[in-house]
Amino acid sequence: MTSLTHLQRLEAESIQIMREVVAEAENPVMLYSVGKDSAVMLHLARKAFAPGPPPFPLLHVDTRWKFRAMYEFRDKMAEEIGMDLLVHINPEGVEKDINPFTHGSAIHTDVMKTEGLKQALDKYGFDAAFGGARRDEEKSRAKERVFSFRSAQHRWDPKNQRPELWKLYNTRKNPKESIRVFPISNWTELDIWQYIHLQNIPIVPLYYSAERPVVERDGALIMVDDERMPLESGEVPMMRKVRFRTLGCYPLTGAVESDADTLPAIIQEMLLTKTSERQGRVIDHDSAASMEKKKQEGYF
Amino acid sequence: MSTKHLSPEFLNERRKQAVQLRLDGFTIAVVSQQTGLSAPTVSAAWKAFREGGWAAVPVKPRGRLKGQANVLSADIQALLWQALFQQPVQVPDQVPSQWAEEEKPRLIEPGWSSAGLADWLAIQHGVALSQRAVEHWWEAQGLKHEPWKLSALATQRSQQGRWFRTAVAPHFNKLKEADQRWQGGVRHVAHPTKSLFQIYLHGPRGRLLMRCFESPPDAQAYLSVFAALNAYGVKALVFHGALLTASPDITDWLAQQASFFLVPVPANLALSA
Repeated sequence: MTSLTHLQRLEAESIQIMREVVAEAENPVMLYSVGKDSAVMLHLARKAFAPGPPPFPLLHVDTRWKFRAMYEFRDKMAEEIGMDLLVHINPEGVEKDINPFTHGSAIHTDVMKTEGLKQALDKYGFDAAFGGARRDEEKSRAKERVFSFRSAQHRWDPKNQRPELWKLYNTRKNPKESIRVFPISNWTELDIWQYIHLQNIPIVPLYYSAERPVVERDGALIMVDDERMPLESGEVPMMRKVRFRTLGCYPLTGAVESDADTLPAIIQEMLLTKTSERQGRVIDHDSAASMEKKKQEGYF
Repeated sequence: MSTKHLSPEFLNERRKQAVQLRLDGFTIAVVSQQTGLSAPTVSAAWKAFREGGWAAVPVKPRGRLKGQANVLSADIQALLWQALFQQPVQVPDQVPSQWAEEEKPRLIEPGWSSAGLADWLAIQHGVALSQRAVEHWWEAQGLKHEPWKLSALATQRSQQGRWFRTAVAPHFNKLKEADQRWQGGVRHVAHPTKSLFQIYLHGPRGRLLMRCFESPPDAQAYLSVFAALNAYGVKALVFHGALLTASPDITDWLAQQASFFLVPVPANLALSA
């Protein structure tokens, strides 16, 4: 008998978690951010419930500031896989024209992402939401359980988390409470890339290196994705060979210089890197322990 | 299996195979069994891959790399850097003869040539350095850029060929003189000690001129280069590496030039040198 590879073990664990949620939750949803983790999570969901489609919709909490390539990819995937795709944009944020430039990353993230997500969960009455967060991304995500319970106000209490011994999950919750479930929490960035490579999972082309127009902002390379990006006086964007290790709102996501334009090249680069993929996310560094604070307030 | 008597080629092949299996998620024990290499050898190959990529997996040949020897003193190198970060100075023998004497002092060099740098060192600092030595130093610093073979694209059935025929050839075909057709671009140079951005230009017969910057060049830097080229009678410049259309200053200036055409190289159009 051959033993499972570590990827097969991770895959089996994720599928078990997804099936557990569908068995226990009344109205689950999968948060779909269009990134590589979402792509893997979606692939796992389709495997978990094959031959039928996964018995839950996809929810994209949009900020209007994602990369154009992400929107194109999202719409293409939704059409291909035949799942319901719900897109929610915080209407108050739209009304006030909240954006990363004039309001800053903290307010933009709070209004368009955290509040938007809470609004969407309340609007549709979802009691369990799958998310593609991983422990190796960031320290507050490292200590969060696979089944992460939220109060009726969507708050997370990091000091009151349930034990998950022997991968047994306690899914009991009070009315109006909800669960954020992280089926790929135990995966690393390398696992994700290896799995994408082996399973031939489609991903947004921004992950591959290509010449893109970028400007430098506080040491980060920010892609000029559309005309809304304000340039400084005399500034000229340079075309540089860059790729993204993580994808979010384009003005808040730093690119890395890279020649990795194939999956094996990305995996090799991954092996050499010493930094977290989220180092390129401006929102993770806007204040001390900012991710934990955001998560306590309901951020994904 | 002992690998002691295996040929380096065979061993390298096995080491690569071992790394591939590790990438596919197999344990060291399984990889060792499948490749016939010992567990420490599999570990060593895997570690080499993690630290240096595929190039580090084979057993490396020994000896010093070509060009590793540093021939220029630190002082001369500092002077060369100082010059490259400055506005280039005029070199008399590069001024076109058709310019009237009174107009010559107003000419600004579009960039530093190796001859210009050598002359500047000799005149300003009394340092005798050959043009060839400057070019070797450029190469060692990663500043040497090879010109693209644009003329070869004229008959090529490729994306590059189609671009050349539709975007470049209509301008180039109107120009009789080779020194009216230039190419250039801007790039970030990966340098171990400096934040380095370079505007490079290739004149007739591929002659390289350059200017260096510590931060991405601004509109004024581009404009000074383009204006200098325009003053020298350059009519068409194929330019790569900047989204010039995002700068109103540059687009306005270009719109005012009746006889200077800038042809941008589209992103991801791999031109070969």
